[in-house]
This record gives sequence, structure tokens and C-alpha cells, in this order.
Amino acid sequence: MNRLHPRIRVVWAGQATITATVLGLVAFAVSRLALSLPVWIPLAVFLVAFGGGVGLSLLRYRVWRYEIREDALYLERGVFTRVRTVVPFVRIQHVDSSRGPLERLIGLASTVVYTAGSRGADVAVPGLTPDGADDLRERLKRLAIRAEGEDAV
Amino acid sequence: MSRTLSPISVPYRVVERGGSIVFTAVILSSGASRAFGPVGGLVGVALVGLALLALIGYEVTYYRRFEYDLGADTLDIRSGVISRRNREIPIRRIQNVDISRNVVQRFLDIAVVDFETAGGSETEASLRFVDFEEAKRLQREIGRLKRGGDETGDDEREPPATEELFALSPRELALVGALSFDVRIPGLLFVLVSGSLPAVSSVIPMEGSVIVLALGLVGVALAVLLVAWLAGAAAAVLNYYDFRLTQVEDELQYERGLLRRYDGSIPLDKVQTLTVVDDPLKRYFGYASLRIETAGYAPGSGESGSEAAVPLASRDRVLALANRIESFGTPAFQRPPKRVRRRYAVRYLLVLGALTAVLYGVDAVTADALPWPPYSPVPLALLAPVAAHLKWRHRGYWLGEHHLVTRNGFLRRRIKVVPYYRIQTVIDSRTVFQRRWNVATVTADTAGSLSLVGSDAAAVDVADADADDLRVTLATRLRESLAARRGWVDGAVDVRGADTNDVDDADVDDADVDDADVDDADA
Repeated sequence: MNRLHPRIRVVWAGQATITATVLGLVAFAVSRLALSLPVWIPLAVFLVAFGGGVGLSLLRYRVWRYEIREDALYLERGVFTRVRTVVPFVRIQHVDSSRGPLERLIGLASTVVYTAGSRGADVAVPGLTPDGADDLRERLKRLAIRAEGEDAV
Repeated sequence: MSRTLSPISVPYRVVERGGSIVFTAVILSSGASRAFGPVGGLVGVALVGLALLALIGYEVTYYRRFEYDLGADTLDIRSGVISRRNREIPIRRIQNVDISRNVVQRFLDIAVVDFETAGGSETEASLRFVDFEEAKRLQREIGRLKRGGDETGDDEREPPATEELFALSPRELALVGALSFDVRIPGLLFVLVSGSLPAVSSVIPMEGSVIVLALGLVGVALAVLLVAWLAGAAAAVLNYYDFRLTQVEDELQYERGLLRRYDGSIPLDKVQTLTVVDDPLKRYFGYASLRIETAGYAPGSGESGSEAAVPLASRDRVLALANRIESFGTPAFQRPPKRVRRRYAVRYLLVLGALTAVLYGVDAVTADALPWPPYSPVPLALLAPVAAHLKWRHRGYWLGEHHLVTRNGFLRRRIKVVPYYRIQTVIDSRTVFQRRWNVATVTADTAGSLSLVGSDAAAVDVADADADDLRVTLATRLRESLAARRGWVDGAVDVRGADTNDVDDADVDDADVDDADVDDADA
């Protein structure tokens, strides 16, 4: 089973920091404008959200795994709800490799697999090196085409 | 040969759009005449007249410049007055051809034709308005072309095999109306009535006793209930009046509606999931409904993406019809492990506990402003084990030979039938609580858009080990059934030689790569 690149934790922690900052600012605004809360509340909110977010990022990294099996792509992820997804190659519509702004800063990329399903419509594998993401994309594409064509003729 | 819309569409559209223009114009002109005197009024009327003339001119031009062509492979539509649009839709992409007519349109013998394709969230193309005969012709022709007919042969082949599968009898229609109310409403009303009693009694001077007031409130509540139920029943009756389901070769065609009449189709080879729906009331009387889910958007139905194939019929009949469409046989459901009942009971008790805590909190903050004592949810705890048992009892899954069948829900029970070859991804999820009870939920994702609302085919709360097996089994059976179907395609083409008939298992996913290749290989 493959694990993600360790630097993805930085990306997730970064996202958690942004969320924590926003929450802290909201708490600050509330304490200034609406209710009168003690001064340390916004800071406490920020710290709790930050701590929780970073902890969650670390746990997420420990759970995330993916594997290319014989007929399907298998993913395991999720801290509170453990989700195992099986994406059969024959169901893959197309595959993208993409890089968000935080990912570009850190030097990582993701591969997104699209199916026709409604719930599992796009399945993303984050935390790959740019080359790794392209490789995975090519590999999945070839596997999808092979799965499509092998029984037809 | 290009065709165009019905000429009657011009005055109809003028009236349809002109109505609002005239209305605003009347208001504006009366305002203008008040402000600027009679001259203003005249100017207002003149402007309205100009606007109407412009509208008429526009609609006439639109009608003149509208053309459509039904070829062997594509439907071409050329339209537009100011910006021209040329649209070509491959026939094979057209999933449904739906016709609808409201009362006026039926009187004028025109109709709206909507063309649906798979995977879209809105109508791909729409003809407003053509003669009803032409609409039926389009529906027939596109059906024929999709079945592999060629452009020329009109009646060289026999007319397609038609069989009426189901027609809603007046009694069943009445039942559809009668059984259409939501089972949860009486409970809600009880809470509202009992809650408002003290409030109302403090406002209205009590000449009689409290009992009279209570009876009055109950009377009002019953009246509200009655009105809501009648409204629901009327809507259901209008919707399903004269419902008919016919099978035309590999397509189901339905007709329904009193004020607005729909003529729609459900292509059988696009069926993703079948759902048999019932509730305690229907179950008691032995009735059920059947819904069919296809990939893509289905207009004119309550829940997008699914069509009611049978609004209401006896359970046996519904199951027989469902088996006709997808022969899954008789499911033998496997229930979740019994410990799951305790899980549900605990869940309900926790909810009641939380509710009681909230009520106590509100009571403390607002100092006895609540009509009910804060501990009032507590007696409901006695119902928790019963509810838990019922929920467990109506849950289960079954691995059929070619289908996965799941069953969930007590108040709104859904039995979902998914052919293995329709499964997209298999998702196994375990929440923190499920992990504690060593159970998991396995969901089979399909391309039907109804799944977005969350009522997927899912084996909920199955034992851990079973979930692992189920995940593997579903993926394996998906692969096997797809391979089997490809075998049929090859077999069919081999037998017919150079026949260009393509068995259209074309889903949203399967790229129809190979039909051309196979034909070349044979010829």
C-alpha cells in the first residue's frame, strides 16, 4: 500500500491554520461587537482550532493509503469516518493531475479520477510529487483503456 | 427534409409572453396618465402597442428561422433570431423524448417536446411547440433509430412490439391520493397543538373550561390536517390521472396527468436502479410503488432522476413488474447483526437525552415559558427499543445472481435493485461509532442522479468481516457481469454478420469504442 508524501501534512496544516485564523477573527469580532467575552476567548478559539487542525492533519496522513490492485484503484482514508473506496478501472472516465496554490508552493500535486457515479464522482489522491502525479495519471489511463478494450474483440 | 414548429406556436407564444407585457403596460400607462395627463396615457398605450408589435415580429421571425432535421445519426436544430444556434445531437445520446401538454395546448393540439441526454442536469433541447402528431412521430422515429433502424424504412419492418404493462385504475388513483399524506404530520400537529394550548388559553378569555378550548384547538388542527391531506391528494391525482405504462421493445413509455399531460419514456438499457417504495400505511393495505432511476435528468417528476413506473399497485404486481424489467427473483434479505438494535436504541436515547437537556436549558433561561415540562421527552424513551427493533427488522441486503438488492427504512422503506454491471464505485465507510460496534456500511454508487440526495443502494451496518467480503464481491461481480455483457455483444454481432445493429449498452461510461472495430473485424 502506498502512502502519501509526508509534506502533504504541511499543506493540510496550512489549510487548518487558515481556518483557525478565520475562526479566531470571527470570535474576535463577536467579542468586540456583540457579546462581551473575556479577552482570551478569541485566542483560545484560534489555539484550539489550530491544535485540532494540525492534529487532524497528522492523523489523516497516517490513515491515507492507496493501492493499484488488479482491477481497481483502492483508497483508504478518513479519521472520524474511515472510508475505503474501490474504483474499478473499467469505470474510470478520465484522470486529471492537478496542483492547487498551496500544493504548488510546497511542490506537490494530486491526481483526480472521475467516474460516472454521483457519490464517488471524483476521487482525488493528494500528496504526490508532480512527477508521481503524472505517472499515476498515465498508469491509470492505460489501465482504464486496457480494462475497456480487453474483452471487446 | 427540414421541418419546423407548428404555426400555432406563434400566437401561443405571443399570448404567453405578451400577457405579462400587457399587464405591466396597463399599470404603467395608468400611472403615466395620472402623472402626465391624457397625453401621457396615450403615449403609454402607443408604447405598449409598439412593444406588442415588436414581440409579434420577433415570434414570427423565430418561427420562420426555426428548422430541425431528424437524420439517421443526428438531430439538427437550427434556431435563433438575433444569435443563431446550430445544434447537432447524436441520436444515440438521446435518452428520453418527453412530450408534455397543458390544457390549452391539448385544446390546440400542440405539444412541447424535450430531448434528454444522459448525465445532463437540464434538458438538452426542446421544441416549443409542434403538432402533437409530429411530437409522437418524433418520439417513434427516435425510438426506432435508436433500436438500429435506418433512415428510409418507414413501415417495411413490423411495428414495434407494444404491450401495455400497467394502467392505473380509478380505484388505484383514488388510493394514490388517499395514501399520499406524510405519516409524520399527525405527530408534528400534536406537538404544535399541545404546545400552543397554554399560550392560546392565556390570550382568549376562558368562558368555558379548558377542555372546550382544547377541543377547539384539536378541531383546528384536524382541519389543517384535512386540508393538507386533500391538497396532497389532489396534486397526486392530477399528476397520475390516467397513468399508463407500455413497453415498446426496449423502452418503457408512460402517459400521465390531467391538466398537464406527459408522454415520457424510460429506456430500459439506461436503467440504473429500481426502487420499490412503501410506508407503513401502504404495507398494511398490501400496496407499493415502483420507481426507476436512469442516468441523467428526468423532467416532470417529483424527484429528479427517477420516474414513477408504477405509482401504486398491489405489492405482488409491483414486484412482478419490477422483475420484468430486471429479473432479480425473490430476495432473501440478510439482516445486520442483532447488536445493531442496541446501537439504534442507544442512538434514540441519546437524541431524547439531548432534547431533554435542551429543554431544561431553555427552561432555565426563559424561566418557565415552555408549555411542556422540560422532562416531557422522557416517556418517549419507552418507544426507543421498539423503534430500534423495527429499524433493524426492515434493513438488509441480498446478493442476487445478477443484482444487488438492499432494503432500508421503516417509515419510508426502499428496496433498491442494482444490476451488478451498473455499479460504479464501491464505498465502505465506518464512522467512529460503527467502529465501536464493529459494523460498516457498504454503498454501491451508480450513475443515477437520485443518489445525490443520499438514498443510495447501501448495505447499512453490516458486520465488519461481511463488509470486507461484500466490497470484494461487488467489485468482482461488476467485472464478471461486464465481461458477460461484452460476450453477448460479440455473440450478437457474429451471428448477424454484417448487420450494424449495436446492442446499446452504452452507458455514460462505456465508450462505444468497439462497435466500429468489431464490424470491421467481421466484414
